[in-house]
Amino acid sequence: MVETCSVCETRKPVVGVYALTSCYGCQLMIATVEKILQISEAVTFKSFHMLTSASSHGKVDIAFVEGSVSTEKDLIELKQIREDATVLVAIGACSIHGGVQSWDQGLRDYPEMYEKVYGNGEIAYEGLAAKPIDHYVKVDHYLPGCPPDEREIVYFLSTFLFGTYPERKERPVCHECRLAGNPCILIEKGEMCLGSVTTSGCNALCIGFGIPCIGCRGPTPYDTASFDALAKEFKRLGKTREEVLDRLSIFGSHDRRMRQMVEKAYGGEK
Amino acid sequence: MRYLKLPHEKRREFLIELKGYGILYAPVSISEKNFDYKKVDDVDTIRFDYNRTVLPPRKYFFPPNETLFKFDKKDCRLIDAYEDPGTFVIFGMHPCDIIGLRVLDSRFIDDQPDTYYKRRREKGIIIGIDCLPDEYCFCNIRDADFADRGFDLFLHELDDGYLIRVGSVMGHKIVDACDHLFEAIKAEDISVMTRKEREKQAMFQHYENWDNLRYLLELQDSHPLWERESEKCISCGNCTLTCPTCRCYDVQDVPELDGNGGKRIRFWDSCQYREHGLVAGGHNFRDTKLDRFKNRYQCKNAYCETMTISYCVGCGRCTQFCPTGINYRKNLMEIRGDE
Ligand code: SF4
Ligand code: SF4
Ligand code: SF4
Ligand code: SF4
Ligand code: SF4
Repeated sequence: MVETCSVCETRKPVVGVYALTSCYGCQLMIATVEKILQISEAVTFKSFHMLTSASSHGKVDIAFVEGSVSTEKDLIELKQIREDATVLVAIGACSIHGGVQSWDQGLRDYPEMYEKVYGNGEIAYEGLAAKPIDHYVKVDHYLPGCPPDEREIVYFLSTFLFGTYPERKERPVCHECRLAGNPCILIEKGEMCLGSVTTSGCNALCIGFGIPCIGCRGPTPYDTASFDALAKEFKRLGKTREEVLDRLSIFGSHDRRMRQMVEKAYGGEK
Repeated sequence: MRYLKLPHEKRREFLIELKGYGILYAPVSISEKNFDYKKVDDVDTIRFDYNRTVLPPRKYFFPPNETLFKFDKKDCRLIDAYEDPGTFVIFGMHPCDIIGLRVLDSRFIDDQPDTYYKRRREKGIIIGIDCLPDEYCFCNIRDADFADRGFDLFLHELDDGYLIRVGSVMGHKIVDACDHLFEAIKAEDISVMTRKEREKQAMFQHYENWDNLRYLLELQDSHPLWERESEKCISCGNCTLTCPTCRCYDVQDVPELDGNGGKRIRFWDSCQYREHGLVAGGHNFRDTKLDRFKNRYQCKNAYCETMTISYCVGCGRCTQFCPTGINYRKNLMEIRGDE
């Protein structure tokens, strides 16, 4: 059924919200934004399990996909979503950067690990090492966060409704940290803050509470993250190579430059 | 110029008097080691001994985030979104920051008038205070260690009070309204002041003339310093965001959910970010971290014709607030061949 908007009589955009392997936190975040009623008036939700049991696959104008590809089933579903969607938005840390489930990306033997966990147990679908969705399909827009920020969710939807598209954030968390007027806890307390290599958009939420950024919004895009210079600073502060890699891997293990740049900073030292 | 003396025991009363003119902003402690300008309710929280604030006072005239206007597509309308801050007082500005603001005036008022900046600038009362340099300061080299104008009142500390210089009509009005707080200047006050001035001057680390710097920066474009120092840079942008004379901003349209309305916001930008040099077609004027790193040094050391000084006023923020300890002043001296 084609629904039209009661005010402007244009066709309402058809939106699908999907989850692959994830905690459903991104969906929950969308479902609980303050303006969800206004949003459900403005769009038609074809699929959004957290809001409606009448969810089904099929053509949509905009698909929001959370979760990493961690099973064959995820992959089949993702390809179907891509085929059905005009615009595909990757939403959240799992979908964009693989999420915490890809923390040890490339460090361990996957089949061996799989066997350790599942043994000979029968499971319905084949497992895959967790990957960001753009490893498999074309992604049009990225909405990072773990979970995404309410203002950004509303911003994305608003731009689509306005007939334009969202601008991608690429400045680091430090930008918003300074604009918010926080003192820098990396300088003042020697905290292992990842703000300088992390995409902004959260208004430096954690630093506002005096907690260092652990990089949940993922490394800044376009290869702008200076992991090497930051690791050097951490090294100077007495942090070990392991500590630095562990911290950067939580949300950044899929950045192909990260490990190499940290190794460069430590130059074989611990 | 009119000169008055404010005895120490009248300082508190004077500050309370200032609150009568509007919101009072002054340096307060925001963490163990840092200070910032904040709205002051209790005047006893004001820190007279602060070295420098994290954010420069430009934040009151050119806010880090502001809405320029609202729009509505349906009836093709622009709606002014300026929120009048009312008269406000900034207490405790050091000379470099006062001069830094005047450098900003040269861009935002004299060159390409910016209504948003100008409207706020007219509402701000500026009360300066003298300071003593620390290891990051080099305002003397930048000719920004003494404010001869750009304030309403300026306080020089004496042993038992302050010598006040009155710098504007508003300044006269303020002191006239509470003239019972002040005393006349005596000869011994002047000798205390000149002694303190001499002591201050002796505390700076360098006394050279750096006028040739802007040429040397161009001539030394392939100096090994650039590679070495930009390698250490994490592109956080702190050096520009904390600088009193940085004026780069970006704008963004933020629509509303109704598909018609929205607002245009502007926020501080930094040339240390990739996006800053990005233009239509994907071309980037400063595509590498090295280019971006050099850009700030060149921009800050260009010549501000209106003020006949450089855009850098030597406040020391970009060094103190660089997370990886990149020392801007030392780097400039290396380019000059001093170190
Ligand atoms: S506290 Fe963290 S996010 Fe904030 S400026 Fe320092 S490094 Fe950047
Ligand atoms: S400060 Fe860092 S960890 Fe915290 S919400 Fe922002 S990006 Fe995530
Ligand atoms: S360039 Fe550095 S020292 Fe000069 S005015 Fe800006 S922050 Fe201060
Ligand atoms: S170009 Fe850079 S240094 Fe110059 S005003 Fe802009 S942000 Fe500041
Ligand atoms: S503050 Fe230091 S690390 Fe950050 S952008 Fe400036 S020079 Fe680079």
